[in-house]
This record gives sequence, structure tokens and C-alpha cells, in this order.
Amino acid sequence: MQTTTPCPTRPFLLVRRVALTALGLTALLTLNACTPVAAWERGNLAKTEMLLTPAPLDSALADHIHFSKEASSGGNSASGGGCGCN
Amino acid sequence: MSLRTTLGVLALLFSVNTQALEVGEMAPVFALPGLREQDGATVDLTKYRGKVVYVDFWASWCAPCVVSTPLLNELRQELVKAGQPFEVVAVNVDKDKEDGIDFLLDEPVAYIAASDPDGKAPAAYQVKSMPTAFLLDKTGKIRLIHTGFKPADIDTIAEEVKKLLAE
Repeated sequence: MQTTTPCPTRPFLLVRRVALTALGLTALLTLNACTPVAAWERGNLAKTEMLLTPAPLDSALADHIHFSKEASSGGNSASGGGCGCN
Repeated sequence: MSLRTTLGVLALLFSVNTQALEVGEMAPVFALPGLREQDGATVDLTKYRGKVVYVDFWASWCAPCVVSTPLLNELRQELVKAGQPFEVVAVNVDKDKEDGIDFLLDEPVAYIAASDPDGKAPAAYQVKSMPTAFLLDKTGKIRLIHTGFKPADIDTIAEEVKKLLAE
């Protein structure tokens, strides 16, 4: 006689449960790092060395030369160092 | 993913969002150490009840603060000389208070400066960007929230301050 057994004993369901638990735990662990940097804690981000381009004037000139030679513009830089003050 | 798991993840995602302070609410009070010697041992916001107060959150690394500092000082001097009950309470949020002191040595101001390296006051005020200022009426209620600073902003602020002084 064949008997029906409750869910998790079937291997693929067990695997699914383990995978979901692993996913949940990963989410729990990684979401801890999602805390935004508060506005008043951006002192380090506002430092000159945090700028994407160390010399904004030089890089603006380089961009200008690049686009006049290559006939392309845009998409090559972003302004600010991330302090969110401007 | 089960509904319970989905809801749990969503709750975690949105758990850091808080409701911002709004105009019309009472301003959270604070008592912080003075930044410079002249600011005294403690800067207590409740001491300024009965005055129109401009609470300014600033830092030495905040570029627009370089613009706002002399303009606020000028406005404050003008109103105080005219005998108006107005004060600027500037809360410095630099981790190292010496940075704030150095900034004010280059750009001296006659108004009150407090030091809050742990950011307790900006957290209570839910400051979202630097600089952010809260204009409080004589009862300590928030009447204007000003974020960022451009030179022309001082005119709007002066207008609001004068309106509150007349109340």
C-alpha cells in the first residue's frame, strides 16, 4: 500500500526550502549595508580626493578636445564627489 | 517566495525611511556644547524661546555654507542692531570640531555656534542635505525649512524672518 507523505520529504521541495532560506538569510545580511549615509556624515565624501576627476578644469578641457576630434559628446563623466551639497 | 518572506524583505527595505519634519511642527530641542569659547559651555535651544531663531546645520566641508555664513551674519547683525529678537543658532556637524573652528576663524560670525559631531541634532531634525536650516517662530514652531543655499536665498529668508518678527 502506498502512503502519502507531507511536503518537505520530496527532495525538490526540500531543496527549494533550503534555497529560500539561504536567499532570505543573504537578504538579511546584505540589507544591513543598505543604510544610507546621512547628510551630516558626508565629510569624507566631500573631500577633493573623492572627486571622480581630480582636476575638473583639466577634464572639461580634455572632454572638449575629445568631442571635437571624435564628434561625440556626453556620457563620459558625472559631477560632484557625492557630498550632496550642490 | 512566500508572502510572509516577501513582506519581511519589503519591511527591511523600507525600515530606514522616516517621516521628515514639517512646517508647523514644534522644533526638537537640543542642548549641545558650544563650538568656540565665545559660544559658552552649552548651547540650549530653549534659551531662545521668545526669539525668532534660524537653526542652521552646517559643516566646514559643505560648499554652500561658505556662501551662507557671511550673509546670515550680516542679516543677524542688521536685525540685532535694530533691537529685533532674532538669533542664528548654527549647529556644526564636523566630526572634528577643530575643522568647524578653523572655518569660523576664516569667516568670523557673531552668532551662536554649537558642535554636534555625533549628529544627534540633525538626526532629530531629519536633515536630508547640507546645509539645511529651520526657521522657528517665537514659540519654537518650525515655520520655514530651507535646504541648500544660493546667494539670492538670503532675500527670501530675510523676508520670512521679518514676517515672523512682526507676529
